[in-house]
Amino acid sequence: MFFEQLSGNLVQGLILGSVYGMATMGLSLIFGVLQVVNVGHGAFIMVGAFTALILFQSLGVPPILAIPVALLIGMCLGMIFYYGAVKPLVSPSGAGIRKVGRRQLGKAAGVFVAVMIAMRILSGVLDLNIAFSIFIAIILMYAFLVYVYGGRRQEKGPELATLLVTFSLGVILEEVVKQIFTSEARGYNWDLGKLDLGFTVLPFTKILASGGSLTVAVLLYLWFNKTRAGMAMRSVVEDSVGARVCGVNVDWQYALSFSLGIGLTVTSGVLLTMFIPVGINPYMGGGYTLKAFVIAVLGGLASPYGAFFGGVVFGLLENGSYTLLAALPGGEPFALTRFFSFVMLLVILLIRPTGLLRRKG
Amino acid sequence: MLKVENLQSGYGPMQVLWGPDIQVKPGTVTSLLGPNGAGKSTLLWTILGAVRPWEGKIFFEGEDVTFEPTHKKADRGLVMVPEGKHLFKEMTVYENLLMGAYRKGAQEEREANLELVYSLFPILSERRTQRAGFLSGGQQQMVTIGRALMARPRLLMMDEPSQGLAPKIVMEIFETVEKLKEEIGLTILLVEQNASASLEAADYVYVMHEGVIMAEGTPEEIEASHEIKEAYLGI
Repeated sequence: MFFEQLSGNLVQGLILGSVYGMATMGLSLIFGVLQVVNVGHGAFIMVGAFTALILFQSLGVPPILAIPVALLIGMCLGMIFYYGAVKPLVSPSGAGIRKVGRRQLGKAAGVFVAVMIAMRILSGVLDLNIAFSIFIAIILMYAFLVYVYGGRRQEKGPELATLLVTFSLGVILEEVVKQIFTSEARGYNWDLGKLDLGFTVLPFTKILASGGSLTVAVLLYLWFNKTRAGMAMRSVVEDSVGARVCGVNVDWQYALSFSLGIGLTVTSGVLLTMFIPVGINPYMGGGYTLKAFVIAVLGGLASPYGAFFGGVVFGLLENGSYTLLAALPGGEPFALTRFFSFVMLLVILLIRPTGLLRRKG
Repeated sequence: MLKVENLQSGYGPMQVLWGPDIQVKPGTVTSLLGPNGAGKSTLLWTILGAVRPWEGKIFFEGEDVTFEPTHKKADRGLVMVPEGKHLFKEMTVYENLLMGAYRKGAQEEREANLELVYSLFPILSERRTQRAGFLSGGQQQMVTIGRALMARPRLLMMDEPSQGLAPKIVMEIFETVEKLKEEIGLTILLVEQNASASLEAADYVYVMHEGVIMAEGTPEEIEASHEIKEAYLGI
């Protein structure tokens, strides 16, 4: 009975893990190329989840076919956000020499956060429409701030500013979606039947989600290693100065990889809803952001394949530990799994601080 | 081939170049000497377009390319071997060389240029499947030069190619520079700390100090001037 449950959970963990992995690849890609940690990661997953939900409920599009739509939406969002917000903070200026302007950016970021917190409070207190117009005003103000203070380009902008900006982008997305769809949790029901393995039952939608993740990961791998465009992006990850002297348009590669990273993240939102088709709400991303960070660190942070691998490991740990913890008397297994996953993270980081896949040095 | 007039640039509010004028004639090795912090690297990066010029003009083969972005200049054959190698360490030697031929124009001549690089540096042919990060310092420098040659350069700008290498390897690098000039007829703009070796390799020399050109002339002329040698070159 115990082993049946354990193997069942491990199989579930394996296929959920591949979706987790896919959900982290975008984060790793953006970090690898731009050295920006996308703190708003979860919000983009949420956008993907809503894409799948809306397409399925109002147009009857099966979620698996929502993947290319989500990729496209994500890439467009990525481009808009890159040029609108991220570029002034990260755009490389030549020979790897940092320009000044830190203090101004710090100030801009400070104002920005204050405004965001105010926005959160206001949208809770005031009438929705008023909150929305305030929100629009804030976007304008934000655009102003970034351009006035961030106008001077600089190499690898101050990390704090990029954290705040990506965090804010996430909040803005969440608020927009909340204005349109309210904060009520939604779900959809796409039933394709189930596969009975004897020790566990797998719905075909989950298997499709896992297969879809694997396909995207393999395509990304092939693109990175076999095509000229992919090689160019890889070269920027490895050495942006080297890429520049090879004639790679580094500024464009920055934009492209941010856009692709967001595209992958939004896509993963679709796949995640195929796994868990309920609880779709504007604030659903937070938990995934946290998991994605753990997974990215497991996989070595800057490598998208490492992230995929880390995702699988994380899925196995999370689901495997559930069985073990459930066997403990008096335990609350669901709450403890998260604890267990993070403990495992600590242990792995103690043994291999560079992540599971990273070579030393 | 390359003409730089009154070029000014810098980083943020800090001006580094204060209007140097230099000229590189086709088929020659032109050497740029000067102490650390003289602005030599900044001059190269500004010529390449990675640092934006504030004032002045850059002409390449008669055309004004002052504000052209780096990747467009690569199409013209303006190629750089950057200081500190900047190899793709996780890629193989072969992949590094392929990246050198990234631009469309260079792709057409990829096979021929690969032959050329392998004949100049036979060791790279032997090591082609190895990761570049595992090579010795001298071999890594060969990959960097090879990668630049893959871009079918017309003007090759080399920034400190002998930096951090053993004396024997330094000799080899300078021999390579001469070979590139003699055998392929490549035009080279060489920035070096190693003054005596680059005086030997150069056809014409500029001495730079604090962002301006302090002296210029043939290597013999520079060699003959005690003041220049003592004040700026430390030999």
